[in-house]
Amino acid sequence: MERREFLKGLILPIAATALPVSPVRASLFQSPIKTNVLRPPGAVPESLFASKCIRCGRCAEVCPYRSIVPRDFLETGVNAGTPLIDVTKVPCYLCMKCVEVCPTGTLRPIAQQETRMGLAVIDRYACMTWQEGEFMLCRTCYNVCPFKEKAIKLDELRPVIIEEYCTGCGLCTHGCPVTLENGKKAVNIEPIYAFGKVRKE
Amino acid sequence: MGLSRREFIKRTAALTAASYVGMNLPIKESGKAEASDGTTWHRGTCRLCGTGCRVDLGVKNGKAVALRGVTDSRTNMGYLCMKGMLFYKLMGHPDRLTKPLYRASKSEPFKEISWDEALDIASKKFAESVKKYGNDSVAYYGSGQALTEETYIFQKVMRAGLQTNNVEGNPRLCMASAVGGYITSFGADEPIGSYANLELAKCFFIIGSNTAEAHPVLFRRIMRRKLDHKDEVKVINADPRVSPTSRIADMHLQFLPGTDLAMLHAMAYVIIEEGLTDKDFIENYAVFRIGKDKKQVDFEEYKKFLKDYTPEKASRICGGNITPDKIRTVARWFATSGGTVSLWTMGINQRKRGVWANNLIHNLHIITGQLCKPGADSLSLTGQPNACGGVREGGGLCHILPAHRLVKKDKLRHQVEDLWGVPRGRIPPKPGYHTMAMFTAVNQGKIKAMWVNCTSPAQSLPNCDLYNKGLAREDFFLIVTDIFPTRTTEYANLILPTAFHFEKTGVYGCTERRSQLTKKAVNAPGEAKPEVWIVREWAKRLARDLNDPIIARTVAPFDGLEEDFALPEAIWNEYSQKLTKGRDNDLRGATYEVLSQMADGVQWPAPTREFALKGGTVIKFVKGYDPLATEHSKDNKPYQFYGPAHPDRKLWVWLRPYKGPEEMPDLEYPFYLSTGRVIDHWHTSSMTGRITELMRANPYAYIEINPEDAKRLGIKPGDMIEVESRRGKNLLPAKVYEGPVKGMVFVYWYDQAESRMINKVTKDAYDPGSKEPEFKICACRIRRKSGPEPLKPFLVEL
Repeated sequence: MERREFLKGLILPIAATALPVSPVRASLFQSPIKTNVLRPPGAVPESLFASKCIRCGRCAEVCPYRSIVPRDFLETGVNAGTPLIDVTKVPCYLCMKCVEVCPTGTLRPIAQQETRMGLAVIDRYACMTWQEGEFMLCRTCYNVCPFKEKAIKLDELRPVIIEEYCTGCGLCTHGCPVTLENGKKAVNIEPIYAFGKVRKE
Repeated sequence: MGLSRREFIKRTAALTAASYVGMNLPIKESGKAEASDGTTWHRGTCRLCGTGCRVDLGVKNGKAVALRGVTDSRTNMGYLCMKGMLFYKLMGHPDRLTKPLYRASKSEPFKEISWDEALDIASKKFAESVKKYGNDSVAYYGSGQALTEETYIFQKVMRAGLQTNNVEGNPRLCMASAVGGYITSFGADEPIGSYANLELAKCFFIIGSNTAEAHPVLFRRIMRRKLDHKDEVKVINADPRVSPTSRIADMHLQFLPGTDLAMLHAMAYVIIEEGLTDKDFIENYAVFRIGKDKKQVDFEEYKKFLKDYTPEKASRICGGNITPDKIRTVARWFATSGGTVSLWTMGINQRKRGVWANNLIHNLHIITGQLCKPGADSLSLTGQPNACGGVREGGGLCHILPAHRLVKKDKLRHQVEDLWGVPRGRIPPKPGYHTMAMFTAVNQGKIKAMWVNCTSPAQSLPNCDLYNKGLAREDFFLIVTDIFPTRTTEYANLILPTAFHFEKTGVYGCTERRSQLTKKAVNAPGEAKPEVWIVREWAKRLARDLNDPIIARTVAPFDGLEEDFALPEAIWNEYSQKLTKGRDNDLRGATYEVLSQMADGVQWPAPTREFALKGGTVIKFVKGYDPLATEHSKDNKPYQFYGPAHPDRKLWVWLRPYKGPEEMPDLEYPFYLSTGRVIDHWHTSSMTGRITELMRANPYAYIEINPEDAKRLGIKPGDMIEVESRRGKNLLPAKVYEGPVKGMVFVYWYDQAESRMINKVTKDAYDPGSKEPEFKICACRIRRKSGPEPLKPFLVEL
């Protein structure tokens, strides 16, 4: 990343903040977090993330699986350069290295099982095992789950997510053999914890 | 590349679509709906495991587009696993081998040649070797995935043509111990009962099998039975590793690897001590035997022998979580359930004492009378679709001829020679090299030319580095017939592309003595040919090069037949009508015509067409059910154990002393290493690895480590672990998981990557009886090499 490019990426968002509220301005503040596109483990809520993260890139650098990818600096908006995990590409293997290197506490140092990047949600209209009268035995999501029998169980060979234990690592999403036309899988990670309200001290 | 929802609905079953919009179509009508969009459905058998699931292959515009289960089938009742649902993708796969490839030296690149040239070279090399080094310098190494017709014609040409018994196959690595167990205990190979017992059983004893992953469709039946009768049906799982199979178990017995012989004896001890035996059954049908000379002893002797295996002593030997109470409870469940089915696979078979372990399971069934009754069976599960049908029945091992005939029995050998119309003495009386001896002979330079068909020994042999040295020899000529490049094609001189399942016609015989026909439905890509054609043409050239008309005679009945249907049918007819006539696997009723009519297939013995059309013999040895039991009946008892190996027509209870594994952990190599399968992959992953959906779920193998061991060694999940034995090492990512018992690690063996091929590490000691290697237990050490690393899936390319 060239210094010039980096600055170019920053100019527009800064300029935009001076403008009155407009659709353009709103999009600049739009969080990139959505189904299957998540923050790394231990991330603070989205309302704080862009202001707390200094875009040092250490989390992406330390990630041994190349799961964490910084959002392109060329993209406009306050979230340029912040780390993202697209679990359909490379899921998070919960090695917890990123939380240790984050210098600002944007990724808080938490334990593996405390990670809540999101919640896996099974699309029972798409999952083969949940089709009425369907004769398919698939157990991939259950097999790849690092917390199987805790975060995911089989109800007579059909997978069920246990919300209490699911870390949202996305291994199930990545492994799922079904891909829908919109790119989603039969099990998707919904970032339900990312948009929580932050209490002001 | 995923399976898109649109495809899924459209192809796999219109049913899904129907349920989505709130309709409920019966499955047959959905089939019609499919046909209207130009898809035709062709019935056949699944290509992968030994369950024998029936499938319909959907073909549209000449291309395979879908697979679905056959609901009328008695094996799978319509259910399929992901492997079975997706293997149609291999038919048009871009990696398929489509042209014969040849190189004179193994250091050269391959070049494409014509079939004429390829067959000339194959024949010339084998002929040269026979002339120069004798008949036993050539060998055939086949597969439990080859069709019965293929194994049969290969071994016919090798034995009657080239006059060698060097005919082996990968079932030696897989179920030779089960064969040994059945023959020594029951007098005849293959299970007595059927899968039908799964719906009648009151107790399941699953030992050394991860049924949930290796046979998912059968596991569904077991699970269904358990869930529908939660209190009535008990499931016992005995395995050093907690596997997905253990999940439905009422009791999981976790012993140290290789100590199960003591546990099985202790169960017998409890059964006898508590008077839970079936005295009538023992009196009428059982004898007790000990030692190599099969000395007959009495029941009291057996009791005395078992004194050495009290539950207290056994629990000390077994370690893990085994307590005397657990052994007692399990023994009581086993004996008093009113119908116990035992199931096992490689955990019992791939052992230094595999035959003995098999015997001890049969012992429990014999002394409790849990045989020949509804819901009771001692059922060895097969791993390959045609290990039973093709190799065990078709004569695909060095010591057996077609239809369960032993090579060394003069009478039986002469029978085969007469039926084939070759002079007596043509088949050598001495069995050939068994698998491990065969590859040792390759190492020693005794075998100069070998034909490997449909398997990959370079990856699947234990301690494979040692044997791959032999495969790499320049003075060793290797022919490989396969559909994809594998680790073995890397050592080949000549690669012959073959037709895949549904691209040719033939019969598969699954675990429960069931033969099922798969007919050609799509064309093979490029110049790929069915093996039966390859062998026929090769044999004709051999006759020319060796100037031996008898070689030509072995394939003369099949000359000029069209290779897609007429040729395999003619071979099947010769085998089933002539060779199985009067044998215990009588298949005379199971002609192609009959097999084509059946939703599933025919279980032998099936001597007549009428009987075969009813499905054949569901339960062997029982008068009224098994026509041979009725025919061979010598007295008025309901069960007739007419098995050819036991002239006394009894079941034999064996007094086998406890023996541990060959290699025990020690100071230097303190861990047990075991290997196994994952649900998404099959064998060496040359097929499943090429299905994107399966590969992305399990892109590479890993090593499972017990959390306590991991903590002690400072190993975190995902760390790269070096696992090393006296033979070789691997570098694998760690999975810290309460699967393997403390002190044991577990590795999946499908991965083709050089650094993750676990058979470099496993041990090549083998059972002295069955000659099956002890893949499942060896000593190793583990060491953390580094933190997590991004790994890539790997498949061999040309």
